[in-house]
Amino acid sequence: MVVNQASLKRNGVQDFVSLRATALILTAYSLFIIGYFLTTPQVTFEAWQGLFSNLAVKVFTLAALVSMMIHTQIGLWQVLTDYVKCAKLRSVLGFILNMMSFVYVAVGLFVLWGV
Amino acid sequence: MPATAKASILHRVTGVALFFALTFVIWAWSESLSSPEGFEFVKSLFSGFVAKFIAWGTVTVLAYHIIGGIRHIIMDMGYWEELESGNSSATISLVLWAVAAVMAGVWIWL
Repeated sequence: MVVNQASLKRNGVQDFVSLRATALILTAYSLFIIGYFLTTPQVTFEAWQGLFSNLAVKVFTLAALVSMMIHTQIGLWQVLTDYVKCAKLRSVLGFILNMMSFVYVAVGLFVLWGV
Repeated sequence: MPATAKASILHRVTGVALFFALTFVIWAWSESLSSPEGFEFVKSLFSGFVAKFIAWGTVTVLAYHIIGGIRHIIMDMGYWEELESGNSSATISLVLWAVAAVMAGVWIWL
């Protein structure tokens, strides 16, 4: 279908729900990290490493990173389709940006793995 | 430009900015967890203006994106869709953002 092609095999309803579901996870994670800094008087290396060696924090962090990838895939696509009219350039930019968010997730995974 | 238009474009600008800010955030996070030396290095960067400004910018941009996002979700539920209520909620979002930006600045610099 043409609609599928236009949205890279996704559809509008799926994008709508995914964008919001990932937004909730990202908001929760942001508040968690900001809360950690606000409630920890002195963030030392031991405390910082201890935080991310906790399995629940690892899972939450990975969930946030994957959510970021889905969220930016949809959001940046929306921005690109509105402002970049040349289809070739838009595809190339979309590819580069999606690659960047994949790199963020991959780096995050390996950092979490090593803590 | 009406408040609703400002709220809308800012949501986009802050979203794109956050995406690129993640390069710094994930780098600093990765480096700080790599070793005690890496942690101290990142910590020493934060005594300088540039890292503080990037941190403030990231938190401030995130604050708007979250405020604007919450407004969008409330609008998804059918509220604030009229001209007047839409403009009011947009103005309030911008004011809340200014407050958040000042608070983030106080937090990071003081």
